[in-house]
Amino acid sequence: MSLLIRTKRPYRLYVAASLAISMLLVAGCASAPTAPTASLNDAKLAIRSAEKDDASHFAAAELDKARQKLILADKAVVAEDMILADRYAQESTVTAQLASAKTEATKAEAINQEMLRSAEALIEEMQRAGDTL
Amino acid sequence: MNILNMNNARVSRMLAVAVAFSFAVGACATAPQSPQGSADVRNKLSALQANSSLASKVPVEMREAEAAVLIAEASVGNDVALGRHRVYMADQMVEIAIAKAATRVAEDQRAMLSQQRDQARLDARTREADAARRQATAAQNKSEAERALALAAAAKATSNEAEAAATAKELQQRIDALEAEATDRGLVLTLGDVLFATGRSDLMSGGNNSLDKLIVFLNEYPDRSVAIEGHTDDVGSLEMNQTLSQHRADAVKTYLTQHGIQSVRLASTGMGETQPIADNQSQSGRQQNRRVEVIIKNPSALPAASSN
Repeated sequence: MSLLIRTKRPYRLYVAASLAISMLLVAGCASAPTAPTASLNDAKLAIRSAEKDDASHFAAAELDKARQKLILADKAVVAEDMILADRYAQESTVTAQLASAKTEATKAEAINQEMLRSAEALIEEMQRAGDTL
Repeated sequence: MNILNMNNARVSRMLAVAVAFSFAVGACATAPQSPQGSADVRNKLSALQANSSLASKVPVEMREAEAAVLIAEASVGNDVALGRHRVYMADQMVEIAIAKAATRVAEDQRAMLSQQRDQARLDARTREADAARRQATAAQNKSEAERALALAAAAKATSNEAEAAATAKELQQRIDALEAEATDRGLVLTLGDVLFATGRSDLMSGGNNSLDKLIVFLNEYPDRSVAIEGHTDDVGSLEMNQTLSQHRADAVKTYLTQHGIQSVRLASTGMGETQPIADNQSQSGRQQNRRVEVIIKNPSALPAASSN
């Protein structure tokens, strides 16, 4: 009995290991040839959205980085390194989103500055008007 | 006792082994597992989390950033590229949270700013209304005082007829004392912005040198009439500046009438911002443009007026 069990254990391990390896292989085969279209589209959309927000003016560095990452992703697709392509596409997306966020923050701050300035002008005007009283 | 001692020794040995083992495991868990740079991202996130007034503005972004940082900290084995990718993603997510929080803060401030501006506007309206009321009552008191002063001035003018026919030299001296500029419109005396900026009651309470000199001059030469022009810089609306310049010209006229100059000799106009004498782009230019010009007309230009 005990002998039987001892011989069975390594056998089970082999089965498990080979199953795992074959699954990995299948997964690898499945993802390798198809380009990460969804990720690439996300990146393009994010960049376009940032461009529309005028990020080239307010967050030029981030927008440029996002574009560069997209170019790298496209190159990886050509080189059939789809995992790398997917990563670059994701990095491009998140960088473009950051460009948008920074643009928004800068614009919001600029609006506040303008409001502050106009309020100050109004107060100054008031003081000058008061001087003639 | 002996047994206990032995037990102690065994326990301590076991403990030592356990500690050593846990160190080994711990080393395995931290050193190779957390990819390079993940600690920096964690620190950046922690700094943002510590600033609760910022972090609370963007709960969704904070959650996403936290999740991304956790992923970045997870083991990647020997896959350095994957580690770098995850750290980059997490870093950008944290940056996005920071930028969005800044936007929210600015938006919140905006509500406060517009409230402030509305309050300033309201104050301006209130002051305008108060000023109008005050001027109306002041005008009543003035007209009575004016009449008395005008009589006195007229008396003085007739008694000083000899002086009125003073020599050209004396007139020139007077003009020099006024520090007025001779132009084809007459003598132009420019009262600068400081007249008004040093406090609103200054003009009224007197002690103003150039205006007092002007009063002396006008008393000496009763045949001369005066045009008072108020000017402003280009800050604020056209309408506002028009009103303001008129107020200023009126203030000078009031001062002169209060000091015995007949109001018929004085004409006040507001020119608004239409006639700058300096560049409105600079502080000093704007200050030069905020002025009142007193133009003492040449007597020859109005023989009819002097005969009145």
